[in-house]
Amino acid sequence: MRTEAIDPPGIDWQRVSPKYVTVRLVEWALANLAMVLVLSLPLGFVLLGWWSWPPLGLAIAVPAVMLVVALWRLALIPRQVRAIGYAERDDDLLIRSGIFFQRAMAVPYGRMQYVDIAVGPVERGLGLCTLKLHTASPGTNARIPGLPAAEGARLREQLAARGEARLAGL
Amino acid sequence: MTADGQRPAVPTTAAGQEALGASDDEWRRVHPASPFVRGWVALAAIVFFFGRDIFERLLQGQPIFEEGLARRAPWLLAGGGTVLAVAVLGFVLTWYFTKYQVSGGYVRVDSGFLFRQHRQARLDRVQAIDIEQPLLARIFGLAELKFEVADAGESAVRLAYLRIDDARRLRATILAQASGAVPAAEHAGNHAPEAPEYQVLTVPPSRLIGSLLLSEQSFFVVLGGVATVLLSAVTDNRAFYFYLVPAALGLAANYWNLFTKGYNFTAAISPDGIRLRYGLLDTQAQTLPPGRIQAVKIAQPPLWRPFGWYRVQVNVAGYGLAGNAAAGNTRTTLLPVGKLADALNILALVLPDPGTTQPDTVFGAGLAGRDSDGGFVTTPRRARLLAPLAWRRNGFTATGTALLIRSGRWWRELVVVPHQRTQSMALHQGPLARRFRVADLVLHTTAGPVSPRLVQAGLDEARQLFDDQAARARLARTRQTTEQWLRQVVPPAVEGPPNAAGVAVAGSAPAAPTNHQQEGPQHG
Repeated sequence: MRTEAIDPPGIDWQRVSPKYVTVRLVEWALANLAMVLVLSLPLGFVLLGWWSWPPLGLAIAVPAVMLVVALWRLALIPRQVRAIGYAERDDDLLIRSGIFFQRAMAVPYGRMQYVDIAVGPVERGLGLCTLKLHTASPGTNARIPGLPAAEGARLREQLAARGEARLAGL
Repeated sequence: MTADGQRPAVPTTAAGQEALGASDDEWRRVHPASPFVRGWVALAAIVFFFGRDIFERLLQGQPIFEEGLARRAPWLLAGGGTVLAVAVLGFVLTWYFTKYQVSGGYVRVDSGFLFRQHRQARLDRVQAIDIEQPLLARIFGLAELKFEVADAGESAVRLAYLRIDDARRLRATILAQASGAVPAAEHAGNHAPEAPEYQVLTVPPSRLIGSLLLSEQSFFVVLGGVATVLLSAVTDNRAFYFYLVPAALGLAANYWNLFTKGYNFTAAISPDGIRLRYGLLDTQAQTLPPGRIQAVKIAQPPLWRPFGWYRVQVNVAGYGLAGNAAAGNTRTTLLPVGKLADALNILALVLPDPGTTQPDTVFGAGLAGRDSDGGFVTTPRRARLLAPLAWRRNGFTATGTALLIRSGRWWRELVVVPHQRTQSMALHQGPLARRFRVADLVLHTTAGPVSPRLVQAGLDEARQLFDDQAARARLARTRQTTEQWLRQVVPPAVEGPPNAAGVAVAGSAPAAPTNHQQEGPQHG
């Protein structure tokens, strides 16, 4: 389904590293495979004859549905990663994400309180990092995952410098 | 704000510097009775413990002192005396080590004797200042001074307890320095005089009671009561009535709480900001300096509509994070219940410059209108299936100073966000909204009861607004150059009605940039 994106037209989006797909894959595997395994336990018990309830059909259906959903989400991961983008404009940083649930966010440099860089174990292995912006609002959930470490550091410095120059009060 | 022991150098150009009298530099202590007022619960517990014992003995006809008492008396006395002495010593030490100072554009509070705590707050970052009087403190003529400083972590700096006059004087001093108003020369060494104020409105108790009876809560109470009676009738089981007893007690307590908090609600305007006073037993006086309000919501539940009542709530940095929900709720309420004129008056205080030539039309349309009244842009007709009732209400309009978002056919709401308070914003769109080519626009503001969200705006309009709003916010930020509001705004004429007192933004704020540049990025 090719649809119109909601973000403002004419923006030259910077994309995050394709290696970020690996990070998402690991996260996916940890969350979804574990879930499917847990949900398959009743099936195993029923097959072994330890449990009389639930009926076999239900015991198969629940993990099967879960598996299908998980596989669907797996298939979406590369597209989701490609959908993440950011753009440095003169006065604010634009961040977009999502395909089904799209989001485009503008964070003015003058409103940034501080900038975090977080690196998880998998990201470290791939030389990636996650940048997070904080404003006075808890609603500002602005993170750019999957940045190459050098780009992350550059962006942080850049944002800090611009924030300093355009600093506004609350 | 909380510097661990080390005190940063006093900024040399801090505006309040020359305003300081010598008396302000010294460290002061809070009132000696304050630990007792604060710790009265512990003392009351001791009294209750012994008192109940004696009372029970009296009831049972036993002698008040049992026979073996004479033998145990010395131990009892020694034990009780030790506990009392330790408690009193603790109180005295707490009092001795609690000191405060107002100087050089900062308020500093030292407290604790085992774990020392040193807090300091920039005066020009004060978001709001409250004087609270719990019942016991009120009896003794004491008050607690509490000020919110926008900060990521713990927000409030509190001074408990001061004599009520001292508290008022300190509040005036802090506000005078925070506003950048330098007191006249003859006042040097003295405290700043209290700013004159002009009362804007009061809420009569009858209206408060009426609003409580017709609140959303009452609706669910009636619903629950009917459901209970029906259940009992159908199942022929009287047990359901027993569930009503604790529920009724809880509700009565809740209503009582709302009533005592909202009792005698008064709003006034002064050059220091908006003053709110309320409370039956525990009284509270809030001062909100101008321009500290991040977002405003005017709401009208369906049952209030026949009476034309409205409720006004605000987001103030620091308030939203405060303690329990009930306290936060009353503090963020700018008007518990009021007529349309009251609500518009309050709005005029919050937003002195409405940014439009016909504020009544625009805001009136925001409160009660639909379709394109007052220049609002609503959800496009193609998306009416998404909100069959509200699509003609859901809409936005922008004035020169604020963005207005209205919503709700039955639960009417109007949210106003000043352009210069916009933190960041985001466009959201789900798969369903995409089919109808609509999108939501969320404005991020500080924590509080107001969460501005424009729902189901047409995609092109939303995208346009996203760009326009960024530009407006940028413009407003460049105009807002200093935190010391008297330096950038003309003080409102307190004699006249607040509507007429237009607070103009001075285009060329003098001396502002130098002061402004000193702020570290963590304050932003």
